[in-house]
Amino acid sequence: MALDFRAVAHKTWRTFASIQTGVVLLILVVILAAAGTVVLQRPATEADEMQRAYTPQALRVLDALGLTNVFHAWWFLGLLLLVSICIVAASIDRFPNAWRYFSRPYKYPDSSFRRALHPQKSLAIVDEESGLVAAERALHSMGFKPERVIPKDSREDQFGIFCERHRISELAVYIVHASLLLIFFGTIVDGIWGWSGYLSLNEGQTSSVIELHDGSTRNLPFAVRCDAAGQENYQDGTPKKWWSKLAVVAAGHDVQKKEIVVNDPLLYNGVRFYQASYGSNGKVEKFSLVATPSKGSGEKQEIGFALNDSATLDADTTVRFAEFFPDFAVRDGQVYKKSNYLENPAAHLVVTSKSAGKDFDVWLPQMDDVADNSKSPYQFQPVDLKMGHYTGLQVSHEPGQWGVWSGVVLMGIGLAFVFYVIHMRFWVVPVRDEKTGKCSLWIGGSANRNRDAFEQRFNHLVTLIEADLKTAPSSSPSVRVATGVAN
Amino acid sequence: MARAKVEQQQPATGMTLIVLVGLAIAFLLFMAFLNVVKSGNLLNENNLLFATLIFYAGAGALYLGFGVTGTQSYLKFASFSTWLGLLGNTGAIAHRWYESGHAPFSSVYEMLLSFVWTLAVLTLVAEKKYGVKVIGTVTMPVAIVGVVLMQLLRTEVHPLVPALQSTWLHVHVTLAMLAYAACALSFALAMMFLIQDSLKTDTVLAVTSASTLAIYAGIVLTRFEKGGALNLVAWNPESKSEVFLSKGVRLFVTVPDLGWLMALTLLVVVSPLFFYAWARFKNDDSFLAIANRAVFLSILLQVMTLVMFILRARDGRYPSLDADGLFPTSLAASPFILSGLVGGVFISLLYLLLLWRRPDLERSLPTADALDRITYKTICLAFPLLTLMIASGAYWANQTWGSYWSWDPKETWAAITWLVYAGYLHMRITRGWRGRRAAYFAIFGFVVVMFTFFGVTYLLPGLHAYA
Repeated sequence: MALDFRAVAHKTWRTFASIQTGVVLLILVVILAAAGTVVLQRPATEADEMQRAYTPQALRVLDALGLTNVFHAWWFLGLLLLVSICIVAASIDRFPNAWRYFSRPYKYPDSSFRRALHPQKSLAIVDEESGLVAAERALHSMGFKPERVIPKDSREDQFGIFCERHRISELAVYIVHASLLLIFFGTIVDGIWGWSGYLSLNEGQTSSVIELHDGSTRNLPFAVRCDAAGQENYQDGTPKKWWSKLAVVAAGHDVQKKEIVVNDPLLYNGVRFYQASYGSNGKVEKFSLVATPSKGSGEKQEIGFALNDSATLDADTTVRFAEFFPDFAVRDGQVYKKSNYLENPAAHLVVTSKSAGKDFDVWLPQMDDVADNSKSPYQFQPVDLKMGHYTGLQVSHEPGQWGVWSGVVLMGIGLAFVFYVIHMRFWVVPVRDEKTGKCSLWIGGSANRNRDAFEQRFNHLVTLIEADLKTAPSSSPSVRVATGVAN
Repeated sequence: MARAKVEQQQPATGMTLIVLVGLAIAFLLFMAFLNVVKSGNLLNENNLLFATLIFYAGAGALYLGFGVTGTQSYLKFASFSTWLGLLGNTGAIAHRWYESGHAPFSSVYEMLLSFVWTLAVLTLVAEKKYGVKVIGTVTMPVAIVGVVLMQLLRTEVHPLVPALQSTWLHVHVTLAMLAYAACALSFALAMMFLIQDSLKTDTVLAVTSASTLAIYAGIVLTRFEKGGALNLVAWNPESKSEVFLSKGVRLFVTVPDLGWLMALTLLVVVSPLFFYAWARFKNDDSFLAIANRAVFLSILLQVMTLVMFILRARDGRYPSLDADGLFPTSLAASPFILSGLVGGVFISLLYLLLLWRRPDLERSLPTADALDRITYKTICLAFPLLTLMIASGAYWANQTWGSYWSWDPKETWAAITWLVYAGYLHMRITRGWRGRRAAYFAIFGFVVVMFTFFGVTYLLPGLHAYA
């Protein structure tokens, strides 16, 4: 029973660690992600647009399959999790081998290795030491640090030269895989503890309630106040810059102030405020008009007020700014607000006359089926309308983004190592033919990538050694010391 | 035996090709002349762009000429023409930059300008540094398509909206252009490899013709309307969406004459397959030569159909059978037809490239092994660039919208591209994929890149409206 369990566990492990599983999972991810870009997606596309684009049957099928919200579906996230598990399993499976390779360099090539290796070369030499010294000099001149390999006990005769460069390259691929996991980890943290939403502030307004993208709200432990906001335009009228002066208010004090623009957010306690939009909030800051008495030769006067304010016109008459519609429509004698954009504004004024004991409705512009302006004791001429503005802020809290960015940096480093740092090894072994007694110098090299460029380097090394063998004296004092140890 | 046949029928196809490319250049020169007369200003961006187009086209023609005839002297002129085109291209970029006051990266038009420039530079580098002399036969046509597309897209200078005013944008787009150009180069090298590798062309012929046949049959069967018109979905330019009659039912407009053109192209596209089947049936390879010529003819007709389709469907108002009045349509309303037409031209051209295999061309190319290695090296360059491009894009999005990844179509497709190349690298490194399989993979990768670059912008709805 226990054995069975182990067999199953082993099999599962092998499945996850195999590259086939990884490839199949990745192909699945690619297909589903592609489907998610072709089919309209739920939160981004509004419900009525979805209903317009697909027949009810088609929409039901797509919804049932989860294809209308691929990227937030549990099975897609589950798939990404499986991919991560696969990367971990494959890395763990292969890592011990790579680690052995890394931690215990193969310094002395045995005869079978020597037969199979490419590139390799044999040069005739007078004796072992002169050959090794020549090789050492050549390697030194190429910037390597050759190391003598000495037999561990007297029965062996394994001596030669080994040198290498950039051994770390063997582990680079694990750096890349680890960075990918770090990025995944960051996104998962953000997926669980992160949130993002929207905050709209009028100039002067303070708020701590964020409207989240899923429709709910979130209360921040501090508040944000917008002191001023504005827009700069290009000459053709398209917006060039949006800015907002924000202040963070905590426990009744301003703790931080910053003027933010697009691409330059404010950060407080891990919450970022991004400038996202700017526009008219449909509210009147100041409405200026000229009032002229309907009868008699009274003076014209200019008045200005905000919504719900009143102004005194003479001892008998006052006027109140009762209603405002930035974009109005009239139906059945009623005025409706069509939108919040300042497209087609209308104002409702109430003129009160004490002597008549009566209120007169005045509408600007005049609307015949709503009110009769001519009955009012005063006539009004609009002069200026100053609208209030809001600044739209994108608010987000992404506690995992440090994982993402450090993963990205690590991946950059890892990829640089994977592609451009090459692990090179050279071995030099003197070989004495048992029959003839003649001595030769075996030189071999290996690189883990870019082998054609490495071969040129190898050939260069061989030429250097050859040249050195021709000119150098047959032996030198330092070699005798080494020989003494070797024997 | 098969190779001898292919050689025999080369000169005829080759001459036709050269004559046609020559005619095209003459036509473009004429257009350029008209343009100069109209604007009365010699050194403006349009003229520079026309000059660029003409020189690239000349270079392309000469590279093609070399590919077909193997005349070495063509190469020198081709390279010279590329230099001149690059000069014009640089001028156009400088002009644009000067006029708009920002680096030319903010619209598809400007990005194409940079992409084509990078491609030309990389072509010259590959030629001089790696000795891949005929790389221009693949990259120059891509550059020409890029410049022609620029002519179709609007060229006014737009001020940068607030979201685009970021250094990260420039980093992002520069990296994207470099990465895409490197991918284009790897694609070209993979094609060279397939030419050099002894691949059986007749199977490719069958697959290519069958796919184009399927594309045109699909279009004609579903969209052909009585009287030779073609049905296209109506487009509402204000809301940027298709027009619906009721839930899930789209409003179609009928574009006159396009239906006939599609039907004609369908007939011509069938012919290579027919001759191929005949050759197999009779066991007579001489019919394959006829099939190859039919492919050539079908490409001409396909290009014409594509151009006509783009001209008619780009804008304009057309009547509908289901509603009164005239309705506008747009290329965005017919994503599948457009990608089908482009895809058909693309695969047919790839097949045409394979036909150039001849001993003299094989001698002038690096060995198949070397090409395979250089392809791999280019992808080793493209992959880190892709990675950095995605990372810088994510960083920019985070600075602007407060979210580094929102699965918008462009992001998703960039990730898909990255995964495809990651797959290539894994297959190559751990599974030892070499040669033909790796070459197919590199070609597939470039197709995905092209889809990410153009397809997503024009075919898929999304937030990435700037690019």
